[in-house]
Amino acid sequence: MPRVTLETLPDYARYVIAAAEGAASRYPTTRKVRLPWLELTAHLGHGVLADALSHAFVEAVHDQPEPSACRIFIAHPGIDGIPEPARWGDAHFTEHGFAKRLAEAGLRGHYFHDLDFWQVYDPQRRVGVQLMASADAFPPWEPGAPLRVFLHWEYAARGMRLTHAGTLGAGGKGILLAGSGGAGKSGTVAAGLLNGLDSVGDDYVLIDLAGGVTARPLFSTLKQDAHGFARLGLQQRLTAQGPLNWQGKHTFHIEGIAPRPVPMMLDIVALVVPHISGGGASSIMPMSRRDAMIALAPSGIAQMPGERESGFRFFSDLTRLLPCYRLSLGTQPREIASTIEDFLTRGAW
Amino acid sequence: MKHDSHAYAVASRDIVFESFDGEAVVLNLANGKYFGFSDSGSKAWQALSSGVDAQALIGLAAGGSTIGQAELEHFISQLLELGLLVRSEATAQPLPGELPAGLAATNEPLNVSIHDDLADLIVVDPIHEVEEPLGWPAVKQAS
Repeated sequence: MPRVTLETLPDYARYVIAAAEGAASRYPTTRKVRLPWLELTAHLGHGVLADALSHAFVEAVHDQPEPSACRIFIAHPGIDGIPEPARWGDAHFTEHGFAKRLAEAGLRGHYFHDLDFWQVYDPQRRVGVQLMASADAFPPWEPGAPLRVFLHWEYAARGMRLTHAGTLGAGGKGILLAGSGGAGKSGTVAAGLLNGLDSVGDDYVLIDLAGGVTARPLFSTLKQDAHGFARLGLQQRLTAQGPLNWQGKHTFHIEGIAPRPVPMMLDIVALVVPHISGGGASSIMPMSRRDAMIALAPSGIAQMPGERESGFRFFSDLTRLLPCYRLSLGTQPREIASTIEDFLTRGAW
Repeated sequence: MKHDSHAYAVASRDIVFESFDGEAVVLNLANGKYFGFSDSGSKAWQALSSGVDAQALIGLAAGGSTIGQAELEHFISQLLELGLLVRSEATAQPLPGELPAGLAATNEPLNVSIHDDLADLIVVDPIHEVEEPLGWPAVKQAS
C-alpha cells in the first residue's frame, strides 16, 4: 500500500483526482443537488451515501440563471479503475500542516486516519474526490451532512462560509445562534420551528456577507438527544423514526417540523449565543463582540479542514457586522420561541 | 525585566489576531487555540506585538490601577509561554501617543484567557508511536 508524506501529498491528491475522473463512466449512480449558486453532481455507488444525498439537502431555487457546476466522485476500489487509498506515511501529521501543503498547490484536502478516508478538491476545476477503502468505509457523521467539506472549500473560495450555527427567523429577518456542541443551538431551533418560526438550519448554514449578513440553507437534517426529543414532544409528532445517529441522537428533517416551506434566505440581524440557564424565563441581553466571536469561530474553524485564517477573518467580519447578544434559555419551548419572536419582530437589535 | 531587550514580536505567521471594540482575540492557526484578552490586556497585547518598549508600559494607569513591573512581567511571561510572543532583537518602538489614555480608560487588569476546548487534540505519528494493543496506526493524545 502506498504511503503519502507531506512532500508527495499534492502529487497524490492530483493522482486521486485523475483516477476518479478517469473512471467517471463506471460509477453505478449519479445524484444532482441544487444549492445556492451551485449545482453539485455526485458520482457514486448505491447505498447509504446515495440515500443521504437524496434527502439531506434543502434544494435551492436558483436565483442565478447558470449556477456553477461542481463534480464530486465518491470512489472506492470496488469501482473499476479506482486504486486503494494510500496511508499517511510521515512521522508527523497536523491538520494545519496538511492543509497548508495542499493549499500551496492550489488544492484542498482532508484525511481521516482511522479509515484511510481521503477527501481532495481542486477549487479551480471544481472537481473533488472522496476516496474510501470500501463502499461503506466512511465516518459515521458523513450521512448527516454529506460532502460538507467540499461545500466548505467551494463556498470559501467564493468568499462565503459554511458556518457552524443555528438559525431562527420571522418575516425574513433572522438570528444566528452560535456556540459549540451542547450550548443549546439545536434545541432552540427545534423549539422555534415547532412554535411558528422559520429556520434555514440548526448545524451548518451558508453565510454570505455581501450586502449585509445573509444565511441560506444547505442541509435539511436536524438532531436532538433523547431528552430534548421528549421535552419538545417530537416523539408524538414524528412517528416514523429511523435509527439513532452515531452520537445516539434522533435525526429528522426540517420539513417535518417547520410551519411552512424553508425560506431560501434569512437576513441575519443579530448574533446570539444561547446558554442553558436552568431558570424559568428566557432573556436576551447584550454581550461583547469578543465573547461572541469566541463562541462562534472555534467550532466553525475546528470542524472544517483548511481555510483557517480565511475563516478567522470571515467570522471576525461577521461578528463586527452584527450586534451580539446572550440568550439565557428558559425551560419551556413555547416561551423560548416567544422570546425570540418578540426580539425579532420589535426590531430591538 | 531580566533580559536586555524590552521589545517583543508576534511569535510566528500562524499567530493571527483581530480586535472587537478594542478587545483582542488571537488564534494560533497551527493548533487551533484561541486567546481572549481583557480590555487592558488587549491594549498591552497590541503594543507589545507591535514592538513597543515593554518598560514604557510600567507605571501607566490601566484597569483602575497602575501597571506594576511584576504584573507586566507575569503577563509577558504568559504570552511567551503560550507561544504568542517572542523576544525581539529589534530596536523597541516608542509608546504610541494615544496608548496611555486608552489604557487609562480600561476597567479590567492585564489578563489573557485560553480557549482550547476545540483545539487540535491529536497528533498522529504512525511510525514512532505504534501501540500494539491499539493496532496500527496508533493515535496518541497530544501532550
